[in-house]
Amino acid sequence: MKEIKDKMIAQINAAFPEAVNKAYDGNRLDFTVHKDAIPGFLSHMKDQLGFRHLSHIAYVDWIEENEFELVYLLWSPTDKVKLFVHTRIDRENPVMHNIDMIWRQANTYQREIKEMLGIDFPDMVAPDEFILEDWDDIPPFRRDFDTLEYVNRTFWHRPGREDAQDVRETISKRSGEEIPDFAKKYSR
Amino acid sequence: MREKATTLYLGPQHPGITGNMMVRLKVMGDTIVSAQTEVGYLHRAFEKLQERRNWLNSFTLMCRFCVPETDPMENLYARAVESLDNIEVPERAKYIRVMVLELARIATQLMWYAGQNGSLGLYTMGQWSIGDRDYILDLFEQLTGGRVYHMYQWPGGVRRDLPEGFEGKVLRTLDYLEKRLKDYDDLMFSNSIFQKRTQGVGYVPKESIIEHGVVGPVLRGAGIRSDIRIDEPYEVYDKLDFEIPTQEGSDIWARALVRRAEVHQSIRIIRQVLDQMPKGEFNTSIPNPMKWRVKAGDTYVRAESARGEVGYYAVSDGTIHPRRMHLRGAAYVHAITLLENILPGQNVADVSAIMNSLGTCAPEIER
Amino acid sequence: MSFFDLQGTLKPLTALKQFGKKPHTLKDIPWKKREASDNYRGLHFNDIDECIGCGNCSTICQNAAIDMIHLEGVEGKKGDSGLRPRVDNGRCCWCALCVEVCPTGSLSLTKDYIYVTEDPDAFLWTPGISNPDGEERKSYVSTHELSLNHFNRIPMPELEGKERIKSFAEVVLGYNEEQAREEASRCISCGICTEVCPDHMHIPEYINAIAAGDDKEAVKIIYDNNPLPEMCGKVCTRRCEDVCAIATRGDSVAIRWLKRYATETAATADITHEIVNPEIREANGKTVGIIGAGPSGLTAAYYLALRGYDVTIYEASAKAGGATMYGIPKYRLPIESLEKQIGYIQSIGVKIKFNTKVGKDISFKEIYDKYDSVFMGVGFPDAWPLGVDGDDAEGSMQAFRYLYMINSGEKVDIGDKVVVVGGGNVAIDAARVSRRFGAEVTILYRRRVEDMPADWEEIEGAEDEGIHIIPQGIPTKIHKDEKGHVKAIEYLKAEMVADDKGGRPRPVAIEGSETVLEATAVMAAIGQMGDYSFLPKEFEEKITIERGRFVVNEKQQTGDPKVFAGGDAVNRTADAISAIADGFRACKAIDEYLSGK
Repeated sequence: MKEIKDKMIAQINAAFPEAVNKAYDGNRLDFTVHKDAIPGFLSHMKDQLGFRHLSHIAYVDWIEENEFELVYLLWSPTDKVKLFVHTRIDRENPVMHNIDMIWRQANTYQREIKEMLGIDFPDMVAPDEFILEDWDDIPPFRRDFDTLEYVNRTFWHRPGREDAQDVRETISKRSGEEIPDFAKKYSR
Repeated sequence: MREKATTLYLGPQHPGITGNMMVRLKVMGDTIVSAQTEVGYLHRAFEKLQERRNWLNSFTLMCRFCVPETDPMENLYARAVESLDNIEVPERAKYIRVMVLELARIATQLMWYAGQNGSLGLYTMGQWSIGDRDYILDLFEQLTGGRVYHMYQWPGGVRRDLPEGFEGKVLRTLDYLEKRLKDYDDLMFSNSIFQKRTQGVGYVPKESIIEHGVVGPVLRGAGIRSDIRIDEPYEVYDKLDFEIPTQEGSDIWARALVRRAEVHQSIRIIRQVLDQMPKGEFNTSIPNPMKWRVKAGDTYVRAESARGEVGYYAVSDGTIHPRRMHLRGAAYVHAITLLENILPGQNVADVSAIMNSLGTCAPEIER
Repeated sequence: MSFFDLQGTLKPLTALKQFGKKPHTLKDIPWKKREASDNYRGLHFNDIDECIGCGNCSTICQNAAIDMIHLEGVEGKKGDSGLRPRVDNGRCCWCALCVEVCPTGSLSLTKDYIYVTEDPDAFLWTPGISNPDGEERKSYVSTHELSLNHFNRIPMPELEGKERIKSFAEVVLGYNEEQAREEASRCISCGICTEVCPDHMHIPEYINAIAAGDDKEAVKIIYDNNPLPEMCGKVCTRRCEDVCAIATRGDSVAIRWLKRYATETAATADITHEIVNPEIREANGKTVGIIGAGPSGLTAAYYLALRGYDVTIYEASAKAGGATMYGIPKYRLPIESLEKQIGYIQSIGVKIKFNTKVGKDISFKEIYDKYDSVFMGVGFPDAWPLGVDGDDAEGSMQAFRYLYMINSGEKVDIGDKVVVVGGGNVAIDAARVSRRFGAEVTILYRRRVEDMPADWEEIEGAEDEGIHIIPQGIPTKIHKDEKGHVKAIEYLKAEMVADDKGGRPRPVAIEGSETVLEATAVMAAIGQMGDYSFLPKEFEEKITIERGRFVVNEKQQTGDPKVFAGGDAVNRTADAISAIADGFRACKAIDEYLSGK
């Protein structure tokens, strides 16, 4: 397995000198690529290196770094190697290249990413709505979309449960303990 | 005179057992001209909810991704967290997990028997297989405490050990099922109605396979021997002896034969598992769930469900909440682009049957 | 395949053979109930008496299905929040994680398959109240082995017994980072412990900060109401641990050791200042005089100084700390540790006048007149003598005095056979100190070992160091040699007699069981008492003393509104954390009194 991987790494480094490799055990191969290089990188992987199967396009919102991450997960049925291709997208300008001409199914993933994260794929042809209907809030999979706040705003609570107590508060009230504000984030 | 295309809405009530989704068809007479899927009827935002949950109570959502087939998702979550946090799973737990996964595969295929036949109007088969599936649910109830949602495999192993005398009950159920499968053959596979309605219907062209990320019985029904249990063995599949059945036809009939053979293979696997299962611990204890910080990192784990590859991309940022848990379901690729691609030219009456044979599961698409 | 396929038509007809078979389905449902499996996850059941209302079930439930509510007939008490879970079955997903995390094991799920009602509010279900008969149908339960709680404490590394008696080096070595994080992670943050802490420290918060790796934040939280936390981290009587929710089925979380770990982050007075970063209010021009630099006096002084008061402490000894400085052996509380904490208190502006005994070097009246308010934390400086025949012998002494002298650096002649009378921490301390000076030590106690009020860890430590404990022995006489020096101690064996009034069993001497034990020194450790001779007659009317203690109201105020008191001379628990609590309460009351709020 190691030899296969080393060979692949060498080939990828030769073809894409800017792709950054991270070493992992087992059958995992991991590269980080600039977002503009993604279509070329992926089609090279598919056509030249045997990564014929696109397993998944995963997405993560790294709001602290002001970036979105897309992870293309590829599988080589002949070499049994799993390839992770990471790329980062600026959160302020979320535009990404369409790859549904490489794998048609990517169309579905991209529709979801567009809707849930708000990344635009300018040259993708697909209906506007995927899962959501008449959504007028920020894309819900962004970290700054607060599910609880949305629920409280959108739905009402069935009456009958207002007498619920907080255990910590009940005890501190009874004993006269004053929990300072800065400590409260550590209460449960 | 030129015929005008009519728009026909199929769904979103359950067509067969495929869940709440809709296919908007343009038809000329009985023939489909184009198809457009529409989902969004049961989006529950499980993956979003996990942002608020901790590493343990996230796991209770897992089984809900696909109702007829709950266990591979639990298995994936457990393995994803274990691989992030380097948790060692006891050997016995791995065997128990394989047993559960294979029982689940049989239960799912029995449910599929019902759906596939139901979508063709052959209801007797459905009543039989759903009834027989309940015997497996009985086993699940005894093992896990739940019939449909088991919430049994969790990070570290499984929640409870096998109850006393459980192995015997499993074997008796398997014996019974093997007998019943012969009845199924008579009623279903020998049935000329079933044959005529499935042979040559729902053809998936070979060139679509890579294009659409086709997996599972659909892939094997097209003659490709591929199965994650062999390609990337997890748990103890590498220690078990079983075959990967394939068929050449790439139509509903071929896929039905693949599934039929898989039930037999599952029975074979469970017998081996019961035979080889070691004694010992069934669980590694995890930290206090409320304060459990999983090591930062990312991972992608895969499993072969009855409908094909399901995968889980998991990210931890080292806090008590999962950063991201992203499911890849078999239905996610089959039931949208592939379905839209193969429906044109087919008969309207076959749509449900085709959806069934592709392993459509709307809850898995929307999560 | 031909158009008419004979086999394909006939074979399906074989299904007709099923007609003769008995159906699988159960008849008579729902009248006849189907028995669920042995670990079925049905409706909740809660053993109301066993439940302590920690709310862990409610915390793990992310469906927000579990509320903690007040129930009629369930009163909150120490170790019990008084709340009980109520389940909204409309939200429950029957994952049973609430059962898995229940520390007491009171919560379980039953075998109930079917529950039908027309009342939509009937789904709000108080387990154990709504289904009192659920006990018999319990199926999914949490056992000690299966529970997700971690019932075993991370053991504290210690010096070995043989090593210990060679020196006064600290016995307890402290957790390292990994151990502390792991131990802190056992806590379920219920906060039940905070109620029994006399000072109501914010225990779940600082433990959670440690678990999260924020040690400095933990120190800050601890300093919110305890200015001597490192001392408490080493020697606190930690009643919090007695009521720990985890202790219902396992070892309590090592709250004291975790505090100790956190405070080690603040290695010097300067670093402490940097971490705590206290907000010191501008001087308000008011002054407070404090008598005694023990834990209560130091606490009152620290928090008063933070609030802008000009605080001066008068201390009779050469060092501050009171009983924690002079009464606790250095192998439990090293002198540097205490001096560091006192140094920090001084660094924020508290003035301490050492070697100034009130009533001798300065009169009480003078302090009373000079300051806007006075706090007395005078403690119990004297100890009870044994009060038996021969008590006046040379070599017969009080353990408390002995510890004071050793801690002051004086030499005390104890010979090689020491008998300590008593079963409290002072007795154990004196015994273990004597052991470190090479003596053979015996502890003589009236009751059984399990009745000893000393910490179990101290008793175990003493035994490890080779100290012999004679339980159920009542001293009657001290034998003197010709020079008037202790030669032996005579005692009667006792049997334990149940108390008719329901109290703990009493020791009753067995006649004729006289035993003589050779000794070169006898130390009485049967209690301390106050010395109030500094208080002039004119104050006696207002500042009253009852049963050896000052009488104060709930704000630590004496009959003279200007004078407050705390510590051993006031409370009956007589430990450092109670003294700190008194000091903290007095600070708030003095602030109120002086600011006129």
